Amino acid sequence: MTRLACFYVPMFVLAARLRSEPDLLNEALGIVEGNGNNAHIVAATRRARKKGIHPGLSLTQARSLLPKLIARSRDSECERTAQEALLEVAETFSPRVEDAAEGIVFLDVTGMERHFADGPTDSDNGQPTTDNPSPDLRLARAAIRACDAISLPARVGIAASKLAARVAAELPKSPTVVAPGEEAIFLAPLPLTRLSPELEAAAMLHRFGLSSIGDLAKLPESEIASRLGEVGRELHWAARGIDPRPLMPRPMPPEFREGMELEWPLVALEPFLFIANAALDRLAKRMEIQGFACKRLEFTLTLDPEGYDARGIDMPAPTRDVKTMLTLMRLDLEKTPPGAPVAGFSFVAHPDRPRRAQLSLFGPTAVSPEKLATTIAKLISILGEGRVGMPMTVDGHLPERYAIDDYSPPPPPDVRRTPARARGLLAVRTFRPPIPIEVTTREMEGDDVQIASIRSLAEVSATPAPPTPNSRPRVEAGGKIEIAGTVRICSGPWRVEEGWWVDRPDIREYWDIELERGGVYRVFRGNATDWFVDARYEM
Amino acid sequence: MAVLARRLDTQFPLLEAPQSPTPVKPPRMVESDALRNLRASLEASIVAKLTSGSELIRAVARQRREEMLPTTIEPLDLLLGGGLARGKMTEIAGRGTRFSIVIATLAATTSIGEAAALIDAGDSFDPQLAEAAGVDLQRLLWVRPHTMKETVTAAEMIGATGFQLVIIDIGTRRPPGRRVPDATWVRLARVAESHGATILVSAPYALTGTTSEAMVLAHAPRARWLGNANAPRVLAGIETRLKLEKHRRLRPGQTTTVFFRCEEAVGCQLPAVGSVVIPRADTRQPTARKAS
Repeated sequence: MTRLACFYVPMFVLAARLRSEPDLLNEALGIVEGNGNNAHIVAATRRARKKGIHPGLSLTQARSLLPKLIARSRDSECERTAQEALLEVAETFSPRVEDAAEGIVFLDVTGMERHFADGPTDSDNGQPTTDNPSPDLRLARAAIRACDAISLPARVGIAASKLAARVAAELPKSPTVVAPGEEAIFLAPLPLTRLSPELEAAAMLHRFGLSSIGDLAKLPESEIASRLGEVGRELHWAARGIDPRPLMPRPMPPEFREGMELEWPLVALEPFLFIANAALDRLAKRMEIQGFACKRLEFTLTLDPEGYDARGIDMPAPTRDVKTMLTLMRLDLEKTPPGAPVAGFSFVAHPDRPRRAQLSLFGPTAVSPEKLATTIAKLISILGEGRVGMPMTVDGHLPERYAIDDYSPPPPPDVRRTPARARGLLAVRTFRPPIPIEVTTREMEGDDVQIASIRSLAEVSATPAPPTPNSRPRVEAGGKIEIAGTVRICSGPWRVEEGWWVDRPDIREYWDIELERGGVYRVFRGNATDWFVDARYEM
Repeated sequence: MAVLARRLDTQFPLLEAPQSPTPVKPPRMVESDALRNLRASLEASIVAKLTSGSELIRAVARQRREEMLPTTIEPLDLLLGGGLARGKMTEIAGRGTRFSIVIATLAATTSIGEAAALIDAGDSFDPQLAEAAGVDLQRLLWVRPHTMKETVTAAEMIGATGFQLVIIDIGTRRPPGRRVPDATWVRLARVAESHGATILVSAPYALTGTTSEAMVLAHAPRARWLGNANAPRVLAGIETRLKLEKHRRLRPGQTTTVFFRCEEAVGCQLPAVGSVVIPRADTRQPTARKAS
């Protein structure tokens, strides 16, 4: 037999608001709908209700009863994210979940009793209790605990039909489990208002002298249908615990959302980040429930008085670290401020599976993927794209070719290796881009050309220092290196050709030169007979 | 009596020496080769104190921190007492083949499977040449900061992430931006100490002050050419003198010479270099010690 569970959040509008602003839980708070004279209370906290504030009062009436009433308008963003959070909790119990209404979720828990057959899951402190609750009851209690974890005080009912499950969930003593086949017995003593009949039908039933659901169920279906029409027939079925409506599961959402409309526009970054931190924390918890991590974070800022600012941050690796996401958001906002006060925000996290790594006991220590992703994300945000990553070689003959890719090192070996002996190769310092120079050449035997002297064209000083044998290249802090002087030894040319299949192939002639004043450089002559220094051998 | 005798009969064996139970053979220790090698690598005094797995893990971590990370340049390793100290900061300053030392250290570290990071403030790293020198580029994180502040910030973040080797190469001139305060280097040394990272700073002038474990001065670079004046010349390589200016455990003042050759000159006959000269404290007359 099908078993359906219903998660019901009473006063959902208020619960959604308190989820975003938990500090208001013990205050006299009223949620208001409408503007001006039409503003009226739709929900209030316990403290406000004790003072006589109830739904339907206008804000003016409520203020006259309780001058210190804190009024908050309905926040559709908060309610939407709270509903999504409720659905995600339901999805941790069953893949078949229906989004019925605000604060009401149905899920198919058929066969789930095997997962809750036994074990110390029936009490809040993990200790086994003296009674022996049924698997359905254990499941319901686990669901209530899961909803509490996301700051939503949900009630749970389990029955064979959606109607019975909803009515069970709405009862104040939660959880309520209706045994299979006993829906009619369960509903019989309850008042007729639990079936939420239409006003006309309710008034007529009242005139009939019917007060409980059981009274209605005892009457003949045809007589009720002849007096109330199709509505009466449906009510009679409901009273007998018959609900022909099937569960309509919703598709899995491709992303996670959190957001909020602010009471007043924020003009400073710090207060915004304070609120954003809480929202990101909720987002991370929801992703953790599903076993996901954030691959891309998109956030839309609602600007005051109008307009939006939409941005996106790509994470180098999936992460659930709130601090990282917040830092990246801070850096992005500092780099390009929105330009107007922020009146609301919406965060969208695109989920992905987090990276896992097996650490080695005997080999070199592996870098934690989560930490690495965080560090690289921060570095990219500080230094910019293309400044951090794994260096790569590129096919071709030109020495300055390189590429940079995402850094994802292979796992370290299981056992520590012996370091390979160094080849002892001489390294060069590459100049990016190559420095244009002026070259004086001298003809040698045959067609050989040797370089006699060079002078950097990019040098600020028009008159280079006179070359003296004992002088060395001057190194200035933050300045340029003087590349100028008479060449002592010249070696070359070595011809490099690339792209012979195109109209203008890249042909270069390379020389190694040592200056009289010191310094060994690699220079080349390009196609247009321009000369450049592209590297320096360290001296 | 018969009954009594039977009783005595049954009692006499009790007066004899009790038969000792068959000794249970101790379970055969199943120890993998890796664990045996690990135990063998630890000092006997440490092994005697080990009673649990967690202590073994702690001892291994401690041992690793006391290890040296070899640069595989024998003269330099000899000068530094085995290589770069793990969990410490070492500095190479001056002119000469500093960048070649950096590349060789990267090659040594990545060849044993450890993660290395190069913070290339001069933006002068050539991946093609590094690959030819033996660097495993897949294990290398290349960071190219713009300013000095970004350089030290990146080093601090990467050191705290768990990289075994972090190299800061300043290039041939100081990056633009304000000079970083000395406290930055103290903080960087603490990051290295707390996370077991080896930090190597290569700069044209001394930066780290008293915070580094060792400071080597590179100076007097000299290019060597193959061929004479009339024949075509080929750059063979560059030799540089290294002097241990400061070390917390070794006596400073030792010098050595290292030679890095061009790829074209590999296989050519070149004079041997690499002896470490140790000055005597009393007369300051140097005595020579071979590198290998």
